[in-house]
Amino acid sequence: MSDKIKSILVANRGEIALRVIRACKELDIKSIAIYSDEDTRSVHVKRADEAYHIGQAAASDSYLNMNKIIDLSNQVGADAIHPGYGFLSENENFAELCEKNGIIFIGPKSKAMELTGDKMKCKAIMKKAKVPTVPGSDGVIDNVEKAADIAHSAGYPVLLKSAFGGGGRGIRFANDEKQLRQEFEIASAESKAAFGKAALFVEKYLQKIRHIEFQLVRDSHGNSLHLFERECSIQRRHQKLIEMSPSPVVDQKTRDNIGQIAVRAVEAVDYLNAGTAEFLRDDNGNFYFIEINSRLQVEHPVTELVTGGIDLVKLQIAIAQGEEIPFQQQDLKLHGCAIECRINAEDPFYDFAPSVGPVANCNLPYGPGIRVDTYLYPGCLVSGFYDSLVAKLIAWGRDFEEARIRTRNALAEFTIEGINTTIPLHKTMIEEPNFIKGDLSTDYLDRFKLMDKMHENAKKRTQKLSSAALAAALLQSEYVKTGATTNSTNTSNTTATRSTATRSYDTRRPSWNRE
Amino acid sequence: MQFKIEDLQTLLSGEITRSSSDGTVLIKVDGKEQTLRILKFGTNEFEFILGHSFHHAKILSSSSSETKMIIDGEPLTIKKHSKLAEVLQKSMSSAGAGTAENNLTSQIPGRIVSIMAKPGSVVKKGDPVVVLESMKMQVAVKAHKDGIVKEIRAKEGASIARHDLIAVIE
Repeated sequence: MSDKIKSILVANRGEIALRVIRACKELDIKSIAIYSDEDTRSVHVKRADEAYHIGQAAASDSYLNMNKIIDLSNQVGADAIHPGYGFLSENENFAELCEKNGIIFIGPKSKAMELTGDKMKCKAIMKKAKVPTVPGSDGVIDNVEKAADIAHSAGYPVLLKSAFGGGGRGIRFANDEKQLRQEFEIASAESKAAFGKAALFVEKYLQKIRHIEFQLVRDSHGNSLHLFERECSIQRRHQKLIEMSPSPVVDQKTRDNIGQIAVRAVEAVDYLNAGTAEFLRDDNGNFYFIEINSRLQVEHPVTELVTGGIDLVKLQIAIAQGEEIPFQQQDLKLHGCAIECRINAEDPFYDFAPSVGPVANCNLPYGPGIRVDTYLYPGCLVSGFYDSLVAKLIAWGRDFEEARIRTRNALAEFTIEGINTTIPLHKTMIEEPNFIKGDLSTDYLDRFKLMDKMHENAKKRTQKLSSAALAAALLQSEYVKTGATTNSTNTSNTTATRSTATRSYDTRRPSWNRE
Repeated sequence: MQFKIEDLQTLLSGEITRSSSDGTVLIKVDGKEQTLRILKFGTNEFEFILGHSFHHAKILSSSSSETKMIIDGEPLTIKKHSKLAEVLQKSMSSAGAGTAENNLTSQIPGRIVSIMAKPGSVVKKGDPVVVLESMKMQVAVKAHKDGIVKEIRAKEGASIARHDLIAVIE
């Protein structure tokens, strides 16, 4: 057994950096933050015990700069590094660098990451371990002709996936050969930019599929167990929007069965620490393993709430310092229901265009069963340099309905001024009859025309507010001198859309001109 | 004065009928008179109780023809419906329309990662012209019409803002 960790460098930013810092504080571990030029006023810098500038705004100069982060860790004497999610969290070279420098990487060993990061290798191992996998292409494809051949024999539609992707990045959809050829170019460029390699593979796109994943933990003593499932079927372009536990289609017997398969999957790659096995479930109830995410997931709070409050980050730290998991599979009981909404800085009324800029004001919801993990505060900056996730709203209830109603009410309280977010879409989904029934699938948004419904809902809300809005406009024009508040950013030459009301912020601001 | 709320079909009439020094105002919307009690009065931010419900409004911009605001968290635009405003708007939108039609602009801010067409290229509506990266996503900016690329304004590696000119297609 190794010594206790006394200090942790958090190699991340945003809400997840804050989440890790909070866990450190609970454990009386010194938290060390890093920040880029863009993040000088970010909340993780304010909350950490120590904060060090790491480089310029671009992630490659800062949060992805392995050597700088390792040098800094050595210099300040950090015992361990927590990578959060994204950035370096699934980079086996970084884990290896930590190992070589005697710094504990809070996550799996580099060897296991190499296996889980290479989807083809991982698939082969899973086949051997009798873990069912998705039928599809067996090798990596490097030219578009071969991709077209395989897609043709598998039958359209198909998915193009980067062999090194994760979290939906680098996945492209093709309905026919023309689209496949177009998307292949972009997908290989994307893969090259993000992972330095352009290895893709083709997989048949299964229809009306659910995305269900199992939270897993494994310690250095070989104890492995699962912390139930999360249903993450509601997605847009393979990015999750809503996650919940339990899944409406998983009963206790299925949970036990698939949970055991998931445990087998992490054991097959000699996994360490917290990870997630992702499965697709078809309409007949078959589960197919797709990948292991070798990191703490964005949606981990859902699991924390339904396991009666197991703190996954504290558990990660305990495992990293060689402790045994302090409970066993049979000790775990599913406790109520939790729903998470991902609030992204994207404009759902404008094809989810990124929306960045200063947030003049915001109101975070709270109350019974409500948890908000966020880096937002009044006056903060939402940067275009990094991921668009700005907040996670997680609600717990004794059952699905209570969690749903709490989510609905919290969404109504949640306001973020200055940027457009996915909140209006969440407001629509949370009251949509098929969501309430649990009729979910990865094409849920299209299948039930959620974007149209969102527009209708917005109109209804506008209608309800029209008298009050008119009153506000009258107060302003009658009592405030004209010109005082006029801001001349209203340059839109076409008919102003509904969402341009908040759009005056994302016009040119200095950081976009930096390069 | 008549008002129209964007996205809604109906026209509304509204006026302040009486105001007193204690912060209470009588307001008439579509012939219905209601009491409005001002709780907070800033140059661009108001809090008030209309009837018996609380509202918070932040005015984002205001001109003689329209007011943009966030009310109770909802963005909303009110057009002030007078004939003058209509005339003004028409003349503004027709000016320079001939060239604007050819302009391909970006709808999102981002960094140009690659340029897929060059001056002289023949493009069809929907063909990718440049690829942008924003918030870790790569997005193709596609030709808005069939034509010949006359000019590419975007530079690889450069950051651009929303509505920046990417290319001219004739």
